[in-house]
Amino acid sequence: MPTVSVKWQKELFPAVEIDTSQAPYVFKCQLYDLTGVPPERQKIMVKGGLLKDDADWSTLGVKEGQKLMMMGTADEIVKAPEKGPVFVEDLPEEEQVVTMGHTAGLFNLGNTCYMNSTIQCLHSVPELKSTLIKYPQSGRSNDLDQSSHLLTVATRDLFNELDRNVKPVAPMQFWMVLRKKYPQFGQLHNGSFMQQDAEECWTQLLYTLSQSLRSSSSSENPDTVKALFGIELVSRVHCEESGEESSEAESVYALKCHISHEVNHLHEGLKHGLKSELEKASPSLGRSAIYLKDSRINGLPRYLTIQFVRFFWKRESNQKAKILRKVDYPLELDVYDLCSEDLRKQLEAPRQVCTLPSALMNLSCSLYFIGHLPFLFAWSFQFQHPNYKILRDEEGRKLGLKTSDKSSGSMDTAVKKACCRGIIKWRWRII
Amino acid sequence: MVPVHQIVAFYMKHNAEPEAVDLLTEVEDIDTLLEHVDSSNYRRMCLYLTTVARYLPDIDAYFLNVAYKTYLEFEEYPSALRIALFLDGLENWEDIFMFCDDLLRRKQLCYILARHGVHIELKKGDVADDVDRLVLQDIINNAKLSEGYLTLARDVDVMDPKSPEDVYKAYLLYGRANAGASFDSARENLAATFVNAFVNAGFGQDMLMTVPSEASSGGSSGNWLFKHKEHAKISAAASLGMIRLWDVDSGLAQIEKYLHSNDNHVIAGALLGVGIVNCSIKHFCEPALGLLGDYIDKEDSTIRIGAIMGLGLAYAGTQNEHVRRTLIPILEDEKAPLDVIAFTAISLGLVFVGSCNVGIADIIVDALSDPSRSALGEPLIRLLLLGLCLLYLGKKDDVDSTGAAKVGFNQKIKKYYDITLLSCAYAGTGDVLKVQHLMGQCEQHLSRDAIHQGAAVLGLAMVAMAEDLGLEMELRSMEHLLQYGEQNIRKAVPLALGLLCISNPKVKVIDTLSRLSHDTDIEVIMSAIIALGLIGAGTNNARIAVMLRGLSSYYCREANLLFCVRIAQGLVHLGKGLLTLAPYHSEHLLLSRTAMAGIITLLHACLDMEATILGKYHYVLYFLVLAMQPRMLMTVDENLKPLLVPVRVGQAVDVVGKAGQPKTITGFQTQLTPVILAAGDRAELATKKYIPLSPILEGFVILKENPDYRDDH
Repeated sequence: MPTVSVKWQKELFPAVEIDTSQAPYVFKCQLYDLTGVPPERQKIMVKGGLLKDDADWSTLGVKEGQKLMMMGTADEIVKAPEKGPVFVEDLPEEEQVVTMGHTAGLFNLGNTCYMNSTIQCLHSVPELKSTLIKYPQSGRSNDLDQSSHLLTVATRDLFNELDRNVKPVAPMQFWMVLRKKYPQFGQLHNGSFMQQDAEECWTQLLYTLSQSLRSSSSSENPDTVKALFGIELVSRVHCEESGEESSEAESVYALKCHISHEVNHLHEGLKHGLKSELEKASPSLGRSAIYLKDSRINGLPRYLTIQFVRFFWKRESNQKAKILRKVDYPLELDVYDLCSEDLRKQLEAPRQVCTLPSALMNLSCSLYFIGHLPFLFAWSFQFQHPNYKILRDEEGRKLGLKTSDKSSGSMDTAVKKACCRGIIKWRWRII
Repeated sequence: MVPVHQIVAFYMKHNAEPEAVDLLTEVEDIDTLLEHVDSSNYRRMCLYLTTVARYLPDIDAYFLNVAYKTYLEFEEYPSALRIALFLDGLENWEDIFMFCDDLLRRKQLCYILARHGVHIELKKGDVADDVDRLVLQDIINNAKLSEGYLTLARDVDVMDPKSPEDVYKAYLLYGRANAGASFDSARENLAATFVNAFVNAGFGQDMLMTVPSEASSGGSSGNWLFKHKEHAKISAAASLGMIRLWDVDSGLAQIEKYLHSNDNHVIAGALLGVGIVNCSIKHFCEPALGLLGDYIDKEDSTIRIGAIMGLGLAYAGTQNEHVRRTLIPILEDEKAPLDVIAFTAISLGLVFVGSCNVGIADIIVDALSDPSRSALGEPLIRLLLLGLCLLYLGKKDDVDSTGAAKVGFNQKIKKYYDITLLSCAYAGTGDVLKVQHLMGQCEQHLSRDAIHQGAAVLGLAMVAMAEDLGLEMELRSMEHLLQYGEQNIRKAVPLALGLLCISNPKVKVIDTLSRLSHDTDIEVIMSAIIALGLIGAGTNNARIAVMLRGLSSYYCREANLLFCVRIAQGLVHLGKGLLTLAPYHSEHLLLSRTAMAGIITLLHACLDMEATILGKYHYVLYFLVLAMQPRMLMTVDENLKPLLVPVRVGQAVDVVGKAGQPKTITGFQTQLTPVILAAGDRAELATKKYIPLSPILEGFVILKENPDYRDDH
């Protein structure tokens, strides 16, 4: 009857007698008394193997004083829960969109980054989406041409598709209709489609949408696009020579940020852009004279669009050139000092109430890749201003915070890369 | 020759040992040195000899033998042992043991053997006293590794478990959408499991798997486990082994209950976990063999793979005969599925790493020459071939005589095999000719399926990582490969960089990898991200952490890339910054073969990530456990109890060939042991009260009281 020591977890049972005439099961029962582990759960290591219940002690060669190791616990065996978890990967694609909190990207169809960024930008405007959804498939009013109608329908469909998908979408249909309506986007160069200006695409598309959405009867708001993007300007036109002065009001869809040598910051560029010189006939002088036009914002839209004027016509070489100057922009843009006196008075109250504006920024920019040298050319910003609504709404602050929370999804970086022909590789992203 | 002898004698007497060595190298009579060496100059001479030996093509063994004899003569046994290990002359250790009859010194030798991953069974003849023998054997068996590691962890106060969220630090990301919380993503959960396993490796507690079970429902650990899909449960269950790393007794108790599960994936994971817990530990009861052996022949191939890989991890480098007998029949079984065969080959390769075991090699070759298996379309063939090549890891020329058996391979396999074999055989030698040869393989512009080029790039790193100069040169030539190489080279370059600078985040390499992580090719991006994790492994490097955090938001829509980013994040915080993956130790002199084998197995698998890590073989990531070691200096007293002494830790300075007694570290700080050593750091005792028994202060070092010490106060 050899005595062995048994090690179980961190415990050591120094003297356990083995009755070698009985089956090892008896030994296991002995250990059951000591540890509380049922025999069938016990695993006993005898050098290099497990002790079987029906083994013969004599062949195992257990020596006096040998150290055995026992494994096993009285713990309950881990069972799978009856209801397994539901994984995002198993959901149908529509539901995945909801859980992901962002929408699909777009394929580059060959130098179409300008179009994709425009669509992504517009797609992140929920009000525009909701208006578009109501746009009727067939009910084209008479003052709208067929191609504009088709383009609006294509935009609506594409937006829907983006909302439904997780994987990138190829905007084929939209592109075709866009080229039909605006043939300049179909220009070819060496057999492939040319690079285009995103600003141009933005302007044209917005114009078309404003036309079609105004005329569509189902829309409650007579001019959605204008309400969302239109900027009211009042300008004082002043002639140095004659001292004439007049004022005029206009509505534009974008502010321009002119980039000259002294512009380092978006704000400076905007100030620049609001001043211009024009030549027109002066009634008092009887000839054309230089007039200075100084504009102020008189009404802010929900989304403020800013164009970085990066293209520059080089007269010497008759070429378009690009201004690569770095212009800083803030994450919150305050345009208070660009506003007219009237608007300032309106804004004063909410500015004191809340330290907002926590402006949502949708910056759409293209990252231009040649080798590994990225440089940025941003062409348009939109700022959601805590506009009139806050005036009306007592809880302006709350609303403002809510807006920025909700919008964080759209600030996510969307990355879609695709190769254009040739060596230049493009990536674009929407922040 | 007379003038030479006179000159040498003069040099040796006047502190010009390098010149003496150089001169004798010229006349090829290095043995003469032994006549002139004395206690004042032997240290400098041996240091110079060992350093120079690395740059000599053929006679380095000859050189090192001189150093070895000198060390023995002056009773510097630890240094002698290091050289013996470097020369792969394990036979010598018995000599050293015989010369060194002091028990304490023997203990120190055993610590060195244990760190190197050498498993030796001490016989009665070696050590007279039974109790002493058990103590020594325990040290060799790494039985106290877990204890020492936890002492260090308590000392630096990082015992609290960390959750994956603590690593991701998503709240620092600007405008991250928090949507998606309502559903679990299987991919994200798997990534979280790996991160959790890496971060809490060896600490014994975490916040997902080992949460104390509430009520009787098996607790939340069960819940977390079952938040995985099918094969992901393997990695989840195995992560328990990682958390309990090196703690065999209580670790096995915790894992064992999962073996009773009715889910095959859970069982497979538990088996793998058993292997992981036992990694680099040898337990007197051989529990791994006992537990895993029964599952090798099961029907289900996932269970088999779990058991096979577990055996490979638990017995890596031991050349255990039982394991061989258990695994060989699988290779001979013609009906065994390819993945089972591949993992068997790898496990055998690991267990018999660098053994040149012809018998095993032949059997693997036989398994390979089965025509149905030799189509290299299957990515697992890589592992099969690698298993074969691991048998020759670091064996240099021994390969040419034994590795002739390559019959029946098709052209593609043969090329891959040749390159891998060459790079394995010369891994860690710094052999310039082999680097040139491998470079030659990379210069051709071949199509995408010339997969041997990827292996060649990895091979470059394996060969060149031996010493600093070669490493610098290799980093430079990698830049060229990036510029001119084809896709299958470019995607391997980040991995090679990751191997070259493993756990050693050099700023230049970080920048290169950061650039590559925005590459246009998705495979290059994935490799670069994983490589970022490798170079930062266990360093908590803030620069890499910030970079990865940025990448995690940049790639938040690309599930595959995000998974890679998560893995890398986990690696950077490996063991909460207390572990290293570097296979080199003893001041970058000795290469641990098992560690190296583990890393290159993962890297070869990473050459085709789509099919391995991102597919259903994600548990290959656990091969890294072979390379995990605490990067600590733990000083112990004569009873092997931790002893707190002040040490100076600073950047190591190259003092080879410098006159006098130059300072060996610069920019040092004085700390109390145990301390954490970063890559390129060196420690020295800041007190004269104790004498270290090993000249190199790394890992466990025994301190002896200095009899001549007088307290000034």
